[in-house]
Amino acid sequence: MNEDNINSFQRSSLWHDAFRRLRRRKFAMVCFWIVAGYFALAVFVYIAESIDPTMSAINWKEQLGQGMEYQRPSLCSVKTIFGTNFLGQSTLISTLYGVKTALAVAFAASVISIMIGVPLGAAAGYFGGVVDDIVVWIYSTLSNIPWIILVMAFAVVLNDDKIMGGKLSGEPGVYLAIGLTSWVGICRLIRGEIIKRKESEYVLAAKAVGCSNSRIIFRHLLPNVFHIIIINFSLRFVSFIHMEVIISFLGLGDANKPSWGKMISAASSELTRGIWWEMTAATMAIFVLSLALNIFGDALRDCLDPKLRMER
Amino acid sequence: MNENIPLLSIRNLSTHFFVEEGVVKAVEDVSFDVAEGKTLAVVGESGCGKSVTALSVMGLVPESAGRVVDGQILFRGDDLLKKTESQMRRIRGNEIAMIFQEPMTSLNPVFTIGNQIVEAVKLHQGIKGEHAWSHAVEMLRKVGIADPARRVREYPHQMSGGMRQRVMIAMALCCWPSLLIADEPTTALDVTIQAQILELLRELQKQQNMSVMMITHDLGVAAENADDVAVVYASNIVETASVAAIFEEPLHPYTQGLLRSMPRLGQKMERLESIGGSVPNPLHFPQGCKFHPRCPIGVSDQRCRTQQPQLREVAPGRCAACFHAKGYGD
Repeated sequence: MNEDNINSFQRSSLWHDAFRRLRRRKFAMVCFWIVAGYFALAVFVYIAESIDPTMSAINWKEQLGQGMEYQRPSLCSVKTIFGTNFLGQSTLISTLYGVKTALAVAFAASVISIMIGVPLGAAAGYFGGVVDDIVVWIYSTLSNIPWIILVMAFAVVLNDDKIMGGKLSGEPGVYLAIGLTSWVGICRLIRGEIIKRKESEYVLAAKAVGCSNSRIIFRHLLPNVFHIIIINFSLRFVSFIHMEVIISFLGLGDANKPSWGKMISAASSELTRGIWWEMTAATMAIFVLSLALNIFGDALRDCLDPKLRMER
Repeated sequence: MNENIPLLSIRNLSTHFFVEEGVVKAVEDVSFDVAEGKTLAVVGESGCGKSVTALSVMGLVPESAGRVVDGQILFRGDDLLKKTESQMRRIRGNEIAMIFQEPMTSLNPVFTIGNQIVEAVKLHQGIKGEHAWSHAVEMLRKVGIADPARRVREYPHQMSGGMRQRVMIAMALCCWPSLLIADEPTTALDVTIQAQILELLRELQKQQNMSVMMITHDLGVAAENADDVAVVYASNIVETASVAAIFEEPLHPYTQGLLRSMPRLGQKMERLESIGGSVPNPLHFPQGCKFHPRCPIGVSDQRCRTQQPQLREVAPGRCAACFHAKGYGD
């Protein structure tokens, strides 16, 4: 065994192995860079907005035509390679701005749902008994209500000015509505995984060393299911992006920020008049992001799942 | 320390499991002592309640169905059964440590072995960071792992079964416990590794003057390592004696049967002898002496069929639970 072999043997940990395998999948890596590009764009919009909201690169409100009355959207002009909408605003800038809206909402909603679902699922699975009964009761009740209806109900309520002085209206309302209603899946998953693992010998060994229950859950069990949380995160992200589009399509999102849902909603009435570019821009942005995330998420699952680790 | 008080003294311990089909009496009225610095081997067939006894001492009987229903577990004179959960946590891994049968699954797959060794030290002695780490390296060296400074950063899946059991021993011993419970420590290992691990345990025991309660179904392991032996059959102790006495003159028919069923060097035999019948179902133990259906004497004896013999001192330093044992009297 030469020096190199010894070194690679030494460094092979679960994560190291996973990333090595992931790097070998060219298509997944292309998808990873697409997703990374979207994220970079979102971060750019976020930073640019906080520096100067009127910066022309992100100023989607700027009207490129003349006058305030209805103007026929144009596809190509000197300033608008991607066309304008019926208010004369740039489709390109709106679409790019929509990246930030979609990703911010999906990210915050994912974090919220994981923060609720993982501890609840872990506690239910580990302690069993009454704790389990209560958690299972809550999530079976919640999962009996159609998700879209539930999210819309939350969004409507959170948008109300009377709640927290209207601080939750707009974007926070959307991600809270999605996050608070969608932790059931991850909760169920983690509960099952913890039930499966809590009788394992290493948990008994940890108890024999004198670990407390919370230490066993957080230090011994959750790191063992961490790959499941990550995979779930990457897959639910896609559905949360779609949910954000649906909510803003229905007019429950932030009225003052462009979003893909709002673009689709506005473009749907224009489509019959042969104005296709606004609809195309928004749906293509969603399509490419969803596809890339899904493919990358699948590859991530294959690489992180210990049961599939033998695969080269 | 008082010489007369044994380190661990179990008195009339009963642990039952309450399942749908009824009550499984996994441990019934078990009493024995583990003396300071000595090794007690608890010998018996699988399913006879050895491991449950060990878990009862640790306070780790599975809460879902099992419960210690009676008895005392005196550790240095203190009853462990009266301690609260947080008091027990301070004892576990610190004063009483345990190693398990399956080294392949007893280590957490996502942490380096160093992390797992230092966990007990961090929990119980408040040693942190570099000091804890160097302690882990030191422990690995003690259990005979080559190149410990490098190995300490490796994951369990990078080690062989024998090495993992060494790591388990390092984990158990890193707080210098005064009692080590070894639950079939060598069953999952092959014979050459078995001998090495037992040798290692003996050496470390001598160094630290530690008591060991070794649970095994292998009389050979008991003969080589133990000072005293307790033979368990169907949740009861049937005989206790020093290791020399039990191999020289077993008093209980079950012990006699066990010894006869061992292969002997230099003796030509077509088949190994075995004890006829099988272990009774713990849900429905037979009336009287639990061994009587399989016992050459008891099967036709009226008293064995109706009364259960109690464990009683039959000679200085040895006890048996059989009406027909020499010195049992009436």
